[in-house]
Amino acid sequence: MSEKLTRTQQKNLERLGGVNPADQSFSRRQFVNQVGGFGLVAGGAVGAGLLLKDKWGMEGVKPPPPVKLKDYSVQISPSRPNMVVVRSPSLVTENFASKELETIAREEQALRMVKAAMGEMSEHGVKHFITRGDVVVIKPNVAFDKNPDLGATTSPDTVSAVVKLCLANGARKVIVCDNPINNPEGCFFKTKVGDAALRAGAELMMPQSSYFEPLYVGGETITGTWNMFYRPFREATKVIGISPVKDHNLCKATVTLKNWYGLLGNPRAQFHQNIHGIISDFALMMKPTLVIADGRKLLMRNGPTGGSLNDVKKSDTIVVGTDSVSVDSWCITRLLEKQRHDIIYLDKVIKRGLGADWRPQYLREISV
Amino acid sequence: MVKIRRAYEVLFLGLFLFFLFITDLRYLKGWPVSLFLEATPLVALATALTTHTIYRNLVWGLVVIAITMMLGRVWCNWMCPFGIMHHFFGWIGNRRNTKQMIEVNRYRKIYAIKYYILAAMIAMAGLWIIPAALASPRLILKAYKEHPESQGGFRFGEAVVGLFLIAAIAYGLIRLYDLASRWLKLGVINERSRKIATGILGIALFGGLLAAGPGQVFDAVGSGFAQAAEQNKGNDTSTLQIGLLDPIALTVRSMTTSVLPTVHMATEGVYTEPREYWQAWVVGLIFFGFLIANWYIPRFFCRVVCPLGALLGVFSRFALWRIDRDPVRCTDCDLCLKSCEGASDPHTDLRKSECFVCLNCIEDCPHDALQFRFLPRKASEVTLPAVGRRQMLLAGAFGLLFFPMTRKSGGVRKNWSKATIRPPGSVEEDEFLRRCIKCDQCIRVCPTNVLQPAVFESGLEGLWTPIMISKMGWCELNCTLCSQVCPTGAIREISIAEKLGVGPFESKGPIKTGTAFYNQGRCLPWAMDTECVVCEEVCPVSPKAIFTRNVEIVDRWGATLHLKRPFIDAEKCIGCGICEHECPVKDDPAVYVTAIGETRSKTRSLLLSLVEDDAQDLVSV
Repeated sequence: MSEKLTRTQQKNLERLGGVNPADQSFSRRQFVNQVGGFGLVAGGAVGAGLLLKDKWGMEGVKPPPPVKLKDYSVQISPSRPNMVVVRSPSLVTENFASKELETIAREEQALRMVKAAMGEMSEHGVKHFITRGDVVVIKPNVAFDKNPDLGATTSPDTVSAVVKLCLANGARKVIVCDNPINNPEGCFFKTKVGDAALRAGAELMMPQSSYFEPLYVGGETITGTWNMFYRPFREATKVIGISPVKDHNLCKATVTLKNWYGLLGNPRAQFHQNIHGIISDFALMMKPTLVIADGRKLLMRNGPTGGSLNDVKKSDTIVVGTDSVSVDSWCITRLLEKQRHDIIYLDKVIKRGLGADWRPQYLREISV
Repeated sequence: MVKIRRAYEVLFLGLFLFFLFITDLRYLKGWPVSLFLEATPLVALATALTTHTIYRNLVWGLVVIAITMMLGRVWCNWMCPFGIMHHFFGWIGNRRNTKQMIEVNRYRKIYAIKYYILAAMIAMAGLWIIPAALASPRLILKAYKEHPESQGGFRFGEAVVGLFLIAAIAYGLIRLYDLASRWLKLGVINERSRKIATGILGIALFGGLLAAGPGQVFDAVGSGFAQAAEQNKGNDTSTLQIGLLDPIALTVRSMTTSVLPTVHMATEGVYTEPREYWQAWVVGLIFFGFLIANWYIPRFFCRVVCPLGALLGVFSRFALWRIDRDPVRCTDCDLCLKSCEGASDPHTDLRKSECFVCLNCIEDCPHDALQFRFLPRKASEVTLPAVGRRQMLLAGAFGLLFFPMTRKSGGVRKNWSKATIRPPGSVEEDEFLRRCIKCDQCIRVCPTNVLQPAVFESGLEGLWTPIMISKMGWCELNCTLCSQVCPTGAIREISIAEKLGVGPFESKGPIKTGTAFYNQGRCLPWAMDTECVVCEEVCPVSPKAIFTRNVEIVDRWGATLHLKRPFIDAEKCIGCGICEHECPVKDDPAVYVTAIGETRSKTRSLLLSLVEDDAQDLVSV
């Protein structure tokens, strides 16, 4: 300190032991630490910033790459039918002592019918379609929370029968899923499909918002992508659609093809603006392993919701096939007693080359 | 030095006000009018968190961060227009004597509040980190499995990676318990068993890393985290609220919606036509409240509230230059506190995070004991902000909880309001709320007054974000100004061609902001046997979205009338709202626009024929 200090300042200096710490220059260590630290952190911040920089401006809102559905179909020998109509005498409720016994009998009947159908389609039977280690996704139609007797939803016993068939033939996992119109828990509970699937050993997957992914369809109505309940298909190797056979207010009839509507996310109500277009797109979107139309109960009127037992007709048929179009066509004309060409979406699919109408040489009718 | 600072203050405030004034169709030209908004690092940081990108010019924020890391919070007293205004207002309102001034500029505990505000806002912006962290182990494993070098069914490697991850997590838990036990005074783990446990874990970690192949593991960890972040970024996992208190956003918003219209009322010099902004008095009141607060606590906003100041306070710990006190020359007169703007205690160990580098203390010191020095002693500073850990945790937890509470109050996914008509070019609502800083720069530049600060139309989160209120104005057909000035890409930059859906955008069609509907009970030709169809006349699209059908009716006196009754072609309507604005039924227009059918979001579309593949939607810019 060269200049003259006041008395207070001299006291300060004495208190500090005669050395003014502020006069000392920084040490080399401090220089390296602080300047180096500054360089590192500032460089890191600027570097990270430049890495994240979005020159284009919309990097942040690029939608995730769309997913695609695999082809789940299984080839069958040309000498075999691609569609089998199985009949079995209708069970009479009065013959059973309890509801449980009736359910068991119905399930056992469905199992026999589906198994027999698969036996017709290949000499290996079920094994031809389901191989060891498969993850099978089963898509029932549980769109509404209604009693299964009303015919608006897939029969729980058919679902459990197919689940059991898959598991018995080596499937590693069976996932039963649907994105219903009504509340999902209520739908799976009240249609009894959820319970039946769980009891048969399947995994139940209800839709959650994170389970939806944009699916590329590239069709007529979904020209690009649409949000789809994709999660179950992430690991799927086989897909089976099980649908009721019923009337529909807008598209006249809903069987196996329209069943896939239940995989779409919102706002799917818009598709009613072109219902035939969207249903024909399903033939492009989904190539299932098998479709099963459960015609043991038919909703003849007031579809697709039904609501009265008077609308339901008991029947004795299950139709199993690999092509939704031929199965639907057969069911609509033979079971729902509708005119074939009233069903515009079927004509549309056939015109687009995405499916073929049923032909006698590829159809077999059996009884068990 | 102080004179130089004052010159800078005048320069930056002047520049800010100049940019504010020329944010107008008449003067805009190519001026970078959003520069101040783009330069606040808080916007860069928070949008980087919510969108995982830094939008275009927001990198200017990094420059401010770099300056702060060198010189301290110079931004606050040299560049920030709001800070400069506070400085000025404090000076106007100052009636204290020297003693009182010294006392009012001492550091107070409430000055830590800004750090808690910052923590809460950052937590809201980073909520996605939680689901991403939960999803990352699975994705890391998957990335490792799919790594080209681990192909070939090498199951052992996977097991090792799994072990490695478990060990890493276990180690993290032990460390966390250590910290928690120190803070919360839990029982400390027995030192020896802790050492053994960490030793085993360390060996497992190292061995696992070697066995699994370090390169593969690093690749897998990197891409796994990146995937987890990408997957969990959308879908209601974050919101951007820093704009509520970011000083620049707050100032631009207040100026735009309440100060300028007021100035125009007095001078008629700002706009061609007077502007009105819905419920902007709230914005104005808050703005003036903060300014007047300087009379009671100098720099109240900057010291107590400003989240940007808090962010810069954190970064100023690295500052290489700072105010330093000479302990010998200092006679403890405390005169340095007289004009201390930041309340940073220059009279003792400097609180580095609070100092605004106004340099007043150097001027005020009678003994030249204060200097702005390069690398002064570490011992004579308080490097870090004085924040309480508990308060910090509480603030973060508040942010994490409050965002879901607001988002899950409806208004974004379900029960969204028909009034959330966003300007053309806006991104989809969830993303919009992750980008919009409510600076209302779009509202400032809008030539027709149609853009208005929202109240709760998009929930609490959407407060003061831009919506179109057609009774106030209409969306001018050949105008994309709002998209050009948006600093964060909430309204992405669009061209006229894209807006109109012409040229290369022919196949995509025009950008629709909503759809018009008729209320036939109020429409003159429909309800009152009176000719009108002003709406058809002003409809700007070609062919017109409003068309008429001729009807012949018999009026109540028996005379035959020929009327044109208007209809909407929803496929052609772009939702500009000029029909609503011009409708003679002024109070509740007979034709009105609602948000349905907007092209920015598939979930809010109306006509199937217009639903586009969203993958193509964005390749347009």
